[in-house]
Amino acid sequence: MLGMIVGRLGFMVLAGLLLISFLFALFHIIPGDPAVLLAGDNAPKVVVDAIRKAYGFDRPLHVQYFTYMGNVLTGDFGVSNYNRQPVLGIVITRVLNTAQLASLAMLFAVFVSLAFGSLSAMFWGNPLDKVVTVASLVGICLPVFVTGIAMIYFFGVYLEWLPIAGMATWSNYILPVVTLGAYQAAIFTRMVRSCMIDALGKDFIVTARAKGVPEIQIVFKHAMRNALLPIVTLFGLGFGHTLGGSVVIESIFNWPGLGRLMVESVQTRDLPIIQASIFFFAIIFITLNMIVDVLYTWIDPRISYD
Amino acid sequence: MDFLRRFAQDRVGLAFSFVLLALAVVALTAQWIAPYDPFAISLRQGMRPPSWTNWLGTDQFGRDVFSRVLLATQVTSKIAISSILFAVLIGVPVGMFVGYRGGMAEAIVMRMTDVLLIFPIILLAIVIVVIAGPSERGVVIALGLSQMPQFIRITRGVTLSIKEELYVEAAIAAGASTPSILLRHIWPNISAPIVVQATLTLPVFVLNTAALSYLGLGVQPPNPEWGQMLNEAKEVLASAPYLIIGPSVALFLSVLAANLVGDALQETLNPKLKGRRLKRPPVFGPARLPGARETGN
Repeated sequence: MLGMIVGRLGFMVLAGLLLISFLFALFHIIPGDPAVLLAGDNAPKVVVDAIRKAYGFDRPLHVQYFTYMGNVLTGDFGVSNYNRQPVLGIVITRVLNTAQLASLAMLFAVFVSLAFGSLSAMFWGNPLDKVVTVASLVGICLPVFVTGIAMIYFFGVYLEWLPIAGMATWSNYILPVVTLGAYQAAIFTRMVRSCMIDALGKDFIVTARAKGVPEIQIVFKHAMRNALLPIVTLFGLGFGHTLGGSVVIESIFNWPGLGRLMVESVQTRDLPIIQASIFFFAIIFITLNMIVDVLYTWIDPRISYD
Repeated sequence: MDFLRRFAQDRVGLAFSFVLLALAVVALTAQWIAPYDPFAISLRQGMRPPSWTNWLGTDQFGRDVFSRVLLATQVTSKIAISSILFAVLIGVPVGMFVGYRGGMAEAIVMRMTDVLLIFPIILLAIVIVVIAGPSERGVVIALGLSQMPQFIRITRGVTLSIKEELYVEAAIAAGASTPSILLRHIWPNISAPIVVQATLTLPVFVLNTAALSYLGLGVQPPNPEWGQMLNEAKEVLASAPYLIIGPSVALFLSVLAANLVGDALQETLNPKLKGRRLKRPPVFGPARLPGARETGN
C-alpha cells in the first residue's frame, strides 16, 4: 500500500514535469512571437522589447525553460495580458468557485444515481425500471447547454423563481448545480444499475434471501457493498467529467470559475491565464486519478498496481 | 447476412439506424433541400415565431432557422466523421504496431495514453484549440487527438490476444512479413470492435463539437452548428424562446440515434461484451430466480 502510494507520487511528479514542459512549449507552438502575444497586438515596439527582455525570450531555449519552471514552481505565472494582475491570485479564487460547483453537482449526482440505479436494479424489468432506464438515456443525450438554457427559460424567465447568473446567494447555486448534477446522474445511473444487477445475481444474495433478510437491506447493504468497487471507480472518473462539464456550465450561468476563465482567456489569447488554468486543471485531474487508484486498493486489497 | 439478421432482431437499434440514415441523407443534401438560403440576412424579418413559411422561426438576423439546422447537420457530420477518421487512421495502426511488437515503444505509447485518458475530452479539446485556433479544422484535430488513445488501447488489446493464436504462429513460421501478418491475420479481428467503438464515439464527437461551438471555440459564425446556434439563441432567450427548439431537437435526435445504434452494434458484433443497455429482461419480478439474471463478466 505504502509502496504503491510512493509509486503514484512518483508518477505525479513525472506528469507534473511533463505538464510544465508542455506549458513552456505553448509559448513557442502558438503561432506568432510570444513577446507580441504577451504585449498585445497593438503594443508599441518598446513594450514588446521590454517584455521580450523580461521574459528572456531572447535567451537560449534551455535557459528560458529552466527560468519558466522555476517561476511556476514558486507560483509565479506572470501577469494577465488583460488587466495586468498577477495570474496566481486570479486563478486561485476561480479554482475555489469551480470546486464548489463541481463538488455540489457531484454530490447531487451521487445521491440521485445511487438511489435510482439501485431501485431500478431492484425492480429489474418492471415499469419503474423502464422509466428510469429511458429517463437516463434521454438524460445522456441532452447536453448541459440544452438543459441549461431550457432551465434558464423556465425557472428564470418564465416563472421568475431563480436567478440565472453569478454566485451571489445560495439560490444562484440551484440551477447550475442541478443542471450539471442531473447530466452526471444520468450517466451514473446507467452504470450503477448494471453494477447492482450484477451484484444482485450473486450467490450470497440467494443466501441472504433464503435466511429472510428484508429486500431493502439486501439491495442497499449486501448488494451495494459488493457493487461498491466498480461504482467508486465510476465516481472517481465521473468527478473528472463533472469538472469537464463545469466548463460549459460556467459559461451558461456566468459562474466565475476556472472553466469560464479558461474559455475567455482562449478567446482573448491571454497566454499566462491559459497556462495557469491548464496547469490547475491538470493538477486537479492527476490528483483525482491518484486518489481513485489509492481508494481502489484500499477497498479491494487483492488489487495491486505492481 | 447472419449479422444483418441478428441486427434486425434489435428493433430499437433498427429503427434508430433509419433515423441515422435519414440524418446522413439530410447532411449530404442540406444545401439543396434547405427551403431558404441559410446565410441570407434580413433584419426586418428577425425573430419570427415558427410558422408555415418558417417552420422553426427566424433568428435575430432574420435567417431561417430550419434551413440553418439542416445545414448544421452537414457541418456537424463533416466534423464528426473527419475526427473519427483522424482518430482511427492514426490510432489503429499505432495500436496494432505496438501491440504486435511490444517492448519499449509499447510501454511509452501506453503510458502516454494513460496520461491522456485522465483528462476529459472537452479540456483536451480546449488545449488543442489554443494551439490550432478556433475553427472547424481545430475541432477535428482536437476531437481526433483526444479519442485516439481509446482506439490505440482497443486495437492493442485485440492484437495482444490475437497474436498468440496458432494461425499467427503458423504465418510467422511460414515466413510471412510483419505487415502482411498485421493486414491478413490481425486486422480482420480488429475491424468489428473498431466499428463499434467508432459508432459509440460518434455521439461523443457530436456533443463535443456542439459544446466547443457553444463556447465559441468551434465552428465560427456565420457557419451554422447546433451548439453555436444555441449560443446565439440564448442571447434573445427572453423574447424568442422558440429559437432553441430546432437545434436542441436536432442535437438530441442525432446523439440518441448514434448512441442506440452503437449499443445495438455492440451487442450484435460483440455478443460476449455486455451492452451498456441491458435489453429484454425476463418478465418475472425482482425477488425471484436471481440465477436467471444476466450476469455479465
